Amino acid sequence: MDFAVQAKNLVKVYNGKVKALDGVDLTVEASGTFALLGPNGAGKTTLMRILTTQLKPSTGEAYVFGLNVTRDGGKVRKLVSYVPQEMSVWTDISGYENLLIYAKIFGIPRLEREKMIDEALDIMGLNNVKGELVRTYSGGMVRRLEIACAMLVKPKIMFLDEPTIGLDPGARKIVWEKLNLFKKEYGVTIFFNTHYMDEADLYADDIAIIDQGKVVARGTSEELKHSVGGEIISFTLENFQSESWLLEEIRRLKLVRGVFMENKDLNILVDDAESSLPCITDFLKSKALSVNRISITKPTLDDVFLKYTGGRLEEKGRISDVRQVRYMIRRG
Amino acid sequence: MMATFKNMLAMIELELRRLGHDRTEIYSRAVQPILWIVIYGNVMSSIRAIPTSGIPYIDFITPGVIIQSTTFISIFYGLTIVWERDSGILKKLLVAPVSRYSIVVGRAMASGVRAIFQALIILPVAVIVGVRFLPNPMYLILAFVVIFFASGGFAAASILVASFMKTRERFMGIGQAITMPLFFASNALYPVQLMPPILREFSIVNPLSYVVDAVRGLLITGNFSNLLGDLIAIAVFDMVMFILASISFRRIIE
Repeated sequence: MDFAVQAKNLVKVYNGKVKALDGVDLTVEASGTFALLGPNGAGKTTLMRILTTQLKPSTGEAYVFGLNVTRDGGKVRKLVSYVPQEMSVWTDISGYENLLIYAKIFGIPRLEREKMIDEALDIMGLNNVKGELVRTYSGGMVRRLEIACAMLVKPKIMFLDEPTIGLDPGARKIVWEKLNLFKKEYGVTIFFNTHYMDEADLYADDIAIIDQGKVVARGTSEELKHSVGGEIISFTLENFQSESWLLEEIRRLKLVRGVFMENKDLNILVDDAESSLPCITDFLKSKALSVNRISITKPTLDDVFLKYTGGRLEEKGRISDVRQVRYMIRRG
Repeated sequence: MMATFKNMLAMIELELRRLGHDRTEIYSRAVQPILWIVIYGNVMSSIRAIPTSGIPYIDFITPGVIIQSTTFISIFYGLTIVWERDSGILKKLLVAPVSRYSIVVGRAMASGVRAIFQALIILPVAVIVGVRFLPNPMYLILAFVVIFFASGGFAAASILVASFMKTRERFMGIGQAITMPLFFASNALYPVQLMPPILREFSIVNPLSYVVDAVRGLLITGNFSNLLGDLIAIAVFDMVMFILASISFRRIIE
């Protein structure tokens, strides 16, 4: 079967100077939710614009469902829909009118048009505001309207560029609930760009981390976090005297990767805290040790990012993020 | 071809719906041409300084002023494209399963809607101040068709210019720098014969002259001797602009 997206050594150089993509290799399976995670300026948008046939790669090849994005652009455009980062609806007409105009531009037959629009409004939860000017919508509603517009073509894959940028947490949550509803209904593949780690963590089945035009890591959220190192379970034990034979015995337990003491806390390094915890507590009980407190420290995607790029995602993103959000606000 | 036509209709519908919600721009843009006719036209008419082969000067300039204002509207319509590039609308349209040519032509022709609304506001004012139009509705309709298609060409020209301008501010400046010379170096305000030779040469390649000539013939003078030539000139202008704008359209998005 064809991959939903396949990129082979993709390079994009702007004006012969700025190297936005520096040899991207990537495959994305169909019918999942895929996140391309990286700081601003990492090349996320460029990659997405190449995949949606807006830009031509400088070298390398890219395929969407087996179709070459440069040679079969027209066919690719029939399969994909795209929600750009910037606002992409007309604000001086109503939400319904936006859908109607887009439906006509997309060439949806007259008979199906109303049904498709109704369905899109329904799934995105915009039925009660469809007659109002988009100018009066909140940021989250505008995003949902844009996704509704993108739904009209019944795409096989939907590309979303920073779908929740500038939205508050509540609005972000609703956008994702609606997106998942849409995905369930249509079985569409979702490919989104984000620089919010938690968003990739929560909603993506599969993540690629991109930095300076290169994919630096790849896997599910869990796999990526495991690749950084394990999770740490800390036990605060009552009347506990550290004895080396005991630590040695714990070390020999199945699933345990390391043991060390820190501030009188017993720290145990494991691959997966939840599944190792019962076994370890059983062992402690068998040694008649009573536990006062347990805490688990898990690596975040930020740690993953740190490992692969040598920088913190949050810090890299910050200033341009602020600029972007302000830009969105100014746009209305 | 069919897709292009449908796309054009969708874009025209978009403009109609926009106008349905808010017509302020059309009204405020009508102020200037109305001043040209009511004040400048009346004053110059009473002086009789410009030979206009028998018809009152105010009648002579009315088609010119209408075309000037509809052309301005079309040229600044290219600005909408720059705005849509800043927003995500153009990007989204480019990913739509339609040809780029049909996006350009559709957008350009949609400006004709605004142009016609503009003309519809100016016409009654001209009638009130005493401009005598030919009382034939067919001529009026044909004049509107000419205005509609000419606007499409000018809008395409402005998309072409917009594709070289990366910011709105630059475009505003260029827009002014193009429209005023087009207006003054045309037969809108005075017969071409009165111009210095260099300007007369320029007015031959100035599409505005052909549009004014056609509309003046249809609305005021009833002189159709140049009409066919005018229509051909406008058609050629449209085609060339559509093709050039479609080719340069890529620049807007990169």
